[in-house]
Amino acid sequence: MRAVLVGLGAVGTRVAEALAASDAVESLVVIHRDPRRVAPMLRGLGPHVEVRLGGAGDMPRGDVTVLAAPGGMLRSAEAALAGGSHVVCVADDPAEVRGLLGLDSMARARGRTVVAAAAMAPGLSCVLAAHLRAGFDRIEEVHVASAGTGGPACARRHHAALAALATDWEDGEWRRRAGGSGRELVWFPEPVGGADCYRAALADPLLLVPAFPGCRRVASRLAATRRDRVTSWLPMLRPPHPEGLVGAVRVEVRGWVGGRAETKILGVAVAPAVAAGAVAAQAAQWATAGRFARPGAAGLAELVTTPGAFLRELAEAGITVAAFQGGHLEL
Amino acid sequence: MKALRRTLIALGVTVVIAGIVRLRGSGGTPPQRGGWRELPADELD
Repeated sequence: MRAVLVGLGAVGTRVAEALAASDAVESLVVIHRDPRRVAPMLRGLGPHVEVRLGGAGDMPRGDVTVLAAPGGMLRSAEAALAGGSHVVCVADDPAEVRGLLGLDSMARARGRTVVAAAAMAPGLSCVLAAHLRAGFDRIEEVHVASAGTGGPACARRHHAALAALATDWEDGEWRRRAGGSGRELVWFPEPVGGADCYRAALADPLLLVPAFPGCRRVASRLAATRRDRVTSWLPMLRPPHPEGLVGAVRVEVRGWVGGRAETKILGVAVAPAVAAGAVAAQAAQWATAGRFARPGAAGLAELVTTPGAFLRELAEAGITVAAFQGGHLEL
Repeated sequence: MKALRRTLIALGVTVVIAGIVRLRGSGGTPPQRGGWRELPADELD
């Protein structure tokens, strides 16, 4: 396959490495605003990798386009789709994800897939939720929590999300509540452990609600420190780190199994940029191999029909899933 | 003037108390039993 990658930050670099190492990739064109600066970084990835200056207006043709640059994702996705490419977006801003989901009819008409969010949360969170779905007769609630940030764009997004309105799904309707509210202690896989999590402007519910029809509640929370909450309404007081430390994602599904209420929990502890890079690269390969459920724009919970296989392939990239077992949450 | 001063003091006290309430405490208790177990590939079917 011919792959195009836009953006070469903390996530984009991981996507480039994963795609360049794949036997299925014949060529990889990386679009960057400063090709001369990033060319040395890409030299070690092989002769089939090249970097070009470009933008949404002159997107090169490829079988799949991975968008890993912050901002302008909708325009780039439209341009790539118009060129006949599958599109994988590392998006986490709810407004951006909503716009990408709006490309559904365009993508269906062209027989192409737009993966609206292939990061850690949303992205890996959606695959974990889809994997848990199989164990239930009926699902009542899905709760997602995530901790940590990838590159600087992700850290800025984390900061903004805490100050904006959170949108959760409750009893068949969207409820908007203040970001930074609803504190809940969430226990992530080690080494992250316990972290206070809060409502924030997150995109997981937008992607999970269509994948779990009839589900009564879908909510997403974000781990934050007290300083994060207090300063969320201010501009960032200092520039973000080039990349955050290890983070985690945890998905809790509540429902009914054989007439009994049950709760199942899966989680992954990993650096968010590593998870996002692996999920996006794998989604790109699944899109071109026709392994998704249907053409159109959706999240991975809808598109991945064999989440176990997706997670097994991710495990080969070092992303190991853990299950919380034996706790007081098992009813 | 006196009423204004009292209003400002009341507002200030409210802000301080709200800030303390917002920042202190934790969002719950950690699980008392159970723990995380890594799933081997064959359990992901």
